[in-house]
Amino acid sequence: MKHNQWWNLVAVFVLISSCHAVKVGDSAPDFQAMDSNGRAHKLSQYHGKFVVLEWHNNGCPYTQKHYESGNMQHLQKEWTSKGVVWLTVISSAPGEQGYVSAQDENDYMSKMKASPTAALLDPKGDVGKLYSAKTTPHMFVVNPAGVLIYDGAIDSKATTEQADISTAKNYVSQALEESMAGRPVSTPTSRPYGCSVKYAH
Amino acid sequence: MNSFSPRFAVFLIWSVWLMLPTAASSQGKADEHATLSLVTEQDALVRGKQLWIGILFDLHEGWHTYWTNPGDSGEPPRIEWQLPTGFQGGDIQWPHPVRLALGSLADYGYEDQVLLMAAIRPPEGLREGESTKITAQVHYLVCHDVCIPGQKHLELLLPVKMSAAFSSARPLFVAARQKLPRPMPWDWKISATSTTDEFVVNLKTDKLPKPVQFFPLHAEQIENAAPQHSTEVPGGLRLHLKKSEHLRKPIARLEGVIVLASGDAYLLHIPVAQPRKAHTQSKN
Repeated sequence: MKHNQWWNLVAVFVLISSCHAVKVGDSAPDFQAMDSNGRAHKLSQYHGKFVVLEWHNNGCPYTQKHYESGNMQHLQKEWTSKGVVWLTVISSAPGEQGYVSAQDENDYMSKMKASPTAALLDPKGDVGKLYSAKTTPHMFVVNPAGVLIYDGAIDSKATTEQADISTAKNYVSQALEESMAGRPVSTPTSRPYGCSVKYAH
Repeated sequence: MNSFSPRFAVFLIWSVWLMLPTAASSQGKADEHATLSLVTEQDALVRGKQLWIGILFDLHEGWHTYWTNPGDSGEPPRIEWQLPTGFQGGDIQWPHPVRLALGSLADYGYEDQVLLMAAIRPPEGLREGESTKITAQVHYLVCHDVCIPGQKHLELLLPVKMSAAFSSARPLFVAARQKLPRPMPWDWKISATSTTDEFVVNLKTDKLPKPVQFFPLHAEQIENAAPQHSTEVPGGLRLHLKKSEHLRKPIARLEGVIVLASGDAYLLHIPVAQPRKAHTQSKN
């Protein structure tokens, strides 16, 4: 095959891959968003660290399952203590379920004893749409090289029942554990389960 | 106590969960938006004879519940039947769903009313003149803009008789059967090819009413919210289904329900031809 034909092929593949918003194995797209304390965060500033993105809506029964049981707070604590950056992202539009002011979110986090690295306010849904976040929760894990290594559900039991948490396989912890041990992620994607993200109509 | 197939096994762990308070919400409780009832097609149990039972969901305006594959969000109802010893039970028969579009997402579910039915068969040793209790514990999710999980305990006392007549709920069963997917017509020929981004389904048939809608039985095969383009080709139809972002491995079979404009629904098991080499090499 001649050289220019190879370049055509490369161009085609670049076009194909650009059709996908995010894909496990590709670079996680960069974004910037303000947190509930008025600080700006860029994904790229965390290059060199694992980053977890957690889509959140405090009125959604699936989110409540993981917060009222303490499961999400436990995960936040465990993984941030191991150097992981945990970003909770709220993409509910104003007037929709789960939309919060910065103060509301800080009150909620202190009441629930949540300890993400930051809670990002995304009322326009820019970050949510960039990642095609579908549900709350919907979880993403980015590795220190900035590559997306997990996209999907928080765990293997798609219910609102807290009793299911202890017997479910947590895909976020699994992805972090495997990747930190230098192994490939055995479940790199799954169907996210929960309420639909309440984007502006 | 006997349970249905393993899929229907009674999970005792849920009884612990039942003692926990129901999730409170500004939208109230689930049963304020859906009325559930346990109905049977016949008015009595007859030894050794199959009987259809079902959970009827009357959904209030604007509210919906979900199909066996709920699509991008939501969760299908789960029914735990508790039947007396010796009874045999079958799987839920899922009527075809409707597509519930939610902006960039799409769910599969039911609005207005749906009957989820299953067949049970009482044992030969049943004695006439006695009554038998059938119990169902239903876990379900109803959604409007927001979702509320609910649970309902339903029971019904049925007499055991020499013969049974249709109950007043019979028309609900007749109507629900109209919406159950049937096996594919014998003269259809169906296959699919896998491209980088799509499954292209080729359906060969003499006359095909349009439009058609494909509902995948499994999550993570096709992108639920993507438009399903269909084009007429000589002798049939070609349907383009965008692959799910979550699909990581080639699949041998695409399974789902196709619903025609006539309302007829068919269960499809579509063999998928794997992509040509050039495509597989596009993976890094």
